[in-house]
Amino acid sequence: MTEPLSAARVGIGGPVGSGKTALLERLIPAFADRGTSLAVITNDLVTREDAERLQRSGLIEPSRVVAVEAGACPHTVIREDPTLNLDAAERLELTFHPLDLVLLESGGDNLASTFSPELVDYWIFVIDVSGGGDIPRKRGPGVLQADLLVINKADLAPHVGVDLAAMTKEARDVRRGRPVIVTNCGTGEAVDDVVDHIVLNVLFDG
Amino acid sequence: MKGGAGLTDIRRRSSIPMQVIVNVAEHARGEAGMLKLTGIVGMASEAGLGGTLHDLAHEDRVETIVLDRRDMLRKRLRTVTDKGTDCAIALPRTTTLVDGAVLLLEAKRAIIVRASVETWLHLKPADAAVALELGYHAGNLHWRVAFRGPLLAVALEGPRRDYLARLEAFLADGRIALVDD
Repeated sequence: MTEPLSAARVGIGGPVGSGKTALLERLIPAFADRGTSLAVITNDLVTREDAERLQRSGLIEPSRVVAVEAGACPHTVIREDPTLNLDAAERLELTFHPLDLVLLESGGDNLASTFSPELVDYWIFVIDVSGGGDIPRKRGPGVLQADLLVINKADLAPHVGVDLAAMTKEARDVRRGRPVIVTNCGTGEAVDDVVDHIVLNVLFDG
Repeated sequence: MKGGAGLTDIRRRSSIPMQVIVNVAEHARGEAGMLKLTGIVGMASEAGLGGTLHDLAHEDRVETIVLDRRDMLRKRLRTVTDKGTDCAIALPRTTTLVDGAVLLLEAKRAIIVRASVETWLHLKPADAAVALELGYHAGNLHWRVAFRGPLLAVALEGPRRDYLARLEAFLADGRIALVDD
């Protein structure tokens, strides 16, 4: 009997340039180090740019990275009709069975993008300090509803006039205690904390 | 530990279908104290399980996991029962949680999923033109809605005040009215 598909699926969304792909580039080796069998789906508007960046990175077997071209607003293929992503995840899991984890990167979108719970088991929303310290205050659905909020590019805060402590506090307040992690994906700072959250909440093998 | 404690005892209970007994062995305890639940062993409403669950409930051995609509759609999640048991739910992609799903049935414990009661905001538009505008507004905000006769019902998936804030202009000039549940 064929084993049922059961790899964990984790979404990574957020505005353009917030560091979603950079986070992926840190997560891939971190999961490889702990022996997690991994595949990646990237979503772009009309290109395969993010997928090609990962395929060229040397971090992961290129065939384990699949691109989905949304063709329109990226949130439509992760929320309203995730069929393309569901198909891609299923194909990856059948090809690389047994797979432990599929990471799905959304195309860059505004603060309102969210993932369908029918597509992913857990999702992360990535914002960055250079987008403005007031992002949490805007209470976008992505910021409020994500299972984990990542505030990236912490090192840039003093250069863009952002009070990182205040921004982080506001993020925790609007999320009513749901987790917030401040990272610098450029250096890998606090990426281990993101890994720990994924392990704790959907991999269960920590 | 693999397999359910008291499996032999369960086999002696003729009211439990063999399929359920087999599935009991599919849960496992992972990291310290965590209970991994990998399938639905039956429904609380099933005749074959009802008696057993009733007996366990009498001994206060039935634990409940209450989930909201979004969490019911997930295939994997970490949660706790009302008695504090740490649970890791990991279902096949083809399995969907439903109200009353039994995730664990042992001689001395059962775990059942219950869907939390949804709350709705009921809005009454003043006329057809406002109804059109309200419908557009709700769609633009990606709210989940239901049409209930002359009322637009909005599912509250966050704090009520957040929804009222988005409706402030409609409420301020009386174009819509809130209707009590």
